[in-house]
Amino acid sequence: MRRRTYISLMLVMLASMVFAQKSHVTKALKYYQAGKLDTAKSFIDSASVHPETVSDPLTWYYRGFIYKEIYNKHEKSDKESPSRVSAIQSFHKFLEMDTVGKLKESTLKSIQYLSTTIYNDAATSLNVREYQLAVSNFENYKKYMRFVDPTKDFTDLDIQFHLVLGQVYTQVYEKDRKANQAFFNKIKDVYYYVIELDSNNLSANYNLGILYYNEAVNIIKQLDYETDLITLELIQDECVGLFKQSLPYMHKAYELNPKRRETLIGLSGIYFSLNELEKSDEIQLQLEQIEKEEQR
Amino acid sequence: MRKLFVILLFLMLGTQLLVNAQGSSNFNTQAKMKAMFIYNFTKYIEWPSSYKEGTFIVGVLGESPMYDNLVEMANTKKAGVQSFEIKKYNSSSEIDKCHMLFVPKDDSGKLNEALKKVKDYSTLVITEQENLCSEGTGINFVIRNNRQKFELNKNKVEAKELKIASSLLSLAIMCPQ
Repeated sequence: MRRRTYISLMLVMLASMVFAQKSHVTKALKYYQAGKLDTAKSFIDSASVHPETVSDPLTWYYRGFIYKEIYNKHEKSDKESPSRVSAIQSFHKFLEMDTVGKLKESTLKSIQYLSTTIYNDAATSLNVREYQLAVSNFENYKKYMRFVDPTKDFTDLDIQFHLVLGQVYTQVYEKDRKANQAFFNKIKDVYYYVIELDSNNLSANYNLGILYYNEAVNIIKQLDYETDLITLELIQDECVGLFKQSLPYMHKAYELNPKRRETLIGLSGIYFSLNELEKSDEIQLQLEQIEKEEQR
Repeated sequence: MRKLFVILLFLMLGTQLLVNAQGSSNFNTQAKMKAMFIYNFTKYIEWPSSYKEGTFIVGVLGESPMYDNLVEMANTKKAGVQSFEIKKYNSSSEIDKCHMLFVPKDDSGKLNEALKKVKDYSTLVITEQENLCSEGTGINFVIRNNRQKFELNKNKVEAKELKIASSLLSLAIMCPQ
């Protein structure tokens, strides 16, 4: 496929050389062929703003290839590579202007290739230091892949990405709950988004249940004994509210897999904290039965 | 495209890990809450002057998850100027003079024996079972609307020569006399 793309690029280059020998485009192509990418870049950039060549779709087609090559040669380790973006934008512009269609396939392949590298960079940025980059690259990936296939369904990928993102946000939050208070809502939003995409997603339901539950437990855990009774009443109200918010999601996780150990522990814990001891014991019993079955 | 699938697989594995990694805490929220109430009671209730010397003794009859919280409280707080001493009584016969005696739900059957043991002391007896308020206990923890509350038997407490602050009375569920 790469070879075919290369051949078609060469053919178009030859044709261009015949009809526009003196243009900056031609010079850019010459330098591109010679591997002098910096010079090729400055010629194609000036061609892309020159009145004679700006409206020529091929200017943008070549620009895409030149920038793609710059990315491949010099910016592969840069997760925010500006040349990669310029390449995709140039290819996209070409597609918008092109009426012939001969180069469409190779252009789409190039966009798909570059978008995939953006996705890969998003995936490898899913960590506590680079999550912002991961989010922006993931959104860019979707945007650029829509140039290739406007009907592409990203649901499954979106779910997987956001579940891992939720985990990353949780790590940030757990590190310092006070300083990173805003992450509580970020985590919540991520799981709500996944549930919106798939209401039967076990991970999102369980993790949302755990998020609310842990928040309340942590508030109680951190309470100073000096807290007066009136404040204690207010804190109880807040915590009961959180436990109640936790319950439907943990219950949903339980419905989705009634034998999952972690869910049973979570559900029993929520009922216990809500002082609904009979229900808590009932779930605890189920857990013990499952553990007995596992031992057999 | 191959790399994309590899990373996708990695993401999916990561998700599975996520589900298993976030276990729920085993922290006993009820026990901590009750211990907080108990500490507050020491502020709102006044013991006779003869009880204001030495350590402030909180006795626990039998096993209770709150015991650890009380020890935690004792390590960091005081009842006025008195240091706390948390005593664990394995049976009613071991009970002696103390400021507070907590009788856990599972040991409610031993309440009468416990009451007999402290009848001559200014001991505030605290229980945690419905309907025990009228059974001679001073304070009884109950659950109302999923919240930890406490019933207070004013006559019983005052009969022990304990003075209750009016603010505590206003927060308590009063026991029918």
